[in-house]
Amino acid sequence: MSPTQCAQFERMLEEQPDGPLTAEASAHMKGCTDCRALWSDMEAIHTAAMEWGGREPEPPEYLWSALRRQLESEGLIRDVPRENSERSWLAGWFGAAPRWALAGASISLLLIAAMLASYQKNEPNAAAPLPMRMSISVPRPKLVASDLGKALDGDLKQVFDSLPEGNTVLTSSLRENLGIVDNLIAVCEKSVREQPDDRMARDYLYGAYQQKAVLLATAMDRSALEGR
Amino acid sequence: MKGGVDSMVCLRIAGTALVALSLGTSAYAQGQGRRFERHFTVQGKPVVTVQNATGRIQVRAWDKQEVMIVGQRGSTNVEVDTEQVGNRIEIATRVLSENANPDALRADYDISVPAESELQVRSDSGNVTVDSVHGDMSFDTVAADLELQDVEGYLVVKSIGGSTVCTRCSGRLDATSISGNFKLLQPTMANVRVQTSSGNILFDGSFMNRGIYVLKNYSGTIEVRFSSTDSFDVRATSLYGNVINQAPVVPDRHNMPAPRSGLAKSLFGTMNDGRAKVELSSFNGTIKISKRE
Repeated sequence: MSPTQCAQFERMLEEQPDGPLTAEASAHMKGCTDCRALWSDMEAIHTAAMEWGGREPEPPEYLWSALRRQLESEGLIRDVPRENSERSWLAGWFGAAPRWALAGASISLLLIAAMLASYQKNEPNAAAPLPMRMSISVPRPKLVASDLGKALDGDLKQVFDSLPEGNTVLTSSLRENLGIVDNLIAVCEKSVREQPDDRMARDYLYGAYQQKAVLLATAMDRSALEGR
Repeated sequence: MKGGVDSMVCLRIAGTALVALSLGTSAYAQGQGRRFERHFTVQGKPVVTVQNATGRIQVRAWDKQEVMIVGQRGSTNVEVDTEQVGNRIEIATRVLSENANPDALRADYDISVPAESELQVRSDSGNVTVDSVHGDMSFDTVAADLELQDVEGYLVVKSIGGSTVCTRCSGRLDATSISGNFKLLQPTMANVRVQTSSGNILFDGSFMNRGIYVLKNYSGTIEVRFSSTDSFDVRATSLYGNVINQAPVVPDRHNMPAPRSGLAKSLFGTMNDGRAKVELSSFNGTIKISKRE
């Protein structure tokens, strides 16, 4: 499959996230494993967003604006004319109802999940036998983790601020472990920068980001439940 | 005159004692007011869920078909809700007012359950102890330490900073933590997966035939202790740390995949027939494969 066709397919997804696939796009997807996997991921994220959206509180408006600016600056989305509101692009992306409500922290988790899924998908199959001396070019995932890390940091601050004040042990433990995970991420990032082709180093880096996502999920969980 | 002074002293002592007694009685009465005890008759294998943000949770097996909960609230700022739906018993501590010191928001539980009970425990801080329960169990904790003894079943542990000690545990274990330590002492488990970021992991027990043991951390120490009769394939890899081995392994006979790093310090080998599979990996921690004394 040509990269141009794949790029067109991705652009179509971005511009018409909840629209039906064109005949051309469907034909391309049938023959392109990567685009089929991308479509499958988007559907999975869509489903998860719909499920989560039903029980998450409405996030503040500024969070949407900040998230949009961040994703635009990272080139993950393009600026398209907005007719309704700040959040229409994202609501459209996931194809949700107008009153689509999803906390920023949940979005970060989704992004982490998508990133990890994409990372796994791009990894060569370790078990597959490779001919000796064969030169292969494996598409390496972009190191977008640091950008997502910034999104996570913002979400974590919000979630931590909403933790119950009375439970100081909970709050201090979460903060302490956040420091540990951030330190791990820094060490792993250094390792990946020094050895960009080392798969094990990359595995550890993404594992560290997973830990941060787990921490965020736990903090969200406690923040929602403790006050009951 | 002296007799008058003595009388005054005696009166003062008696007065002080009376006040102290009165305060003590009042505190005792308050404590009794915050104590609670509930009983639920169950059949077969009940499922018991406990949600308690702060405080001690102790679960013990007994031979009655009944779940008994004895507890103590830290203050009237917390309430304890219990519910039985068939064989499912739910216990939850509810905070009524956040404006209290942490001790006032705690609740301690002593829970007796039938041996085959299934447990789901969620706690933020305070110790959790389970003794002699033989059902599947899951634990979701933040800073709470977990102590399991003589338990059996599928055990799932998710902690952030709490440590876990599992003594004579059987069945299967899936455990993750960020900074918690894990100690598995005399386990008889055929499937063990433990991951902690900065904590230590100790596995001190026999590797069962066909067992799979995956232990992973970023920093800290991973130590497994073997006996001369153990039979396992081992693959130990530390990217920036060390691998210290005392096992008389021979080169791997079962074609385990090579490490995916040119940097890592690795050990691949087989001891005896290689019946169990042991995978140890660390980012910059130390891996020790030690002979049991």
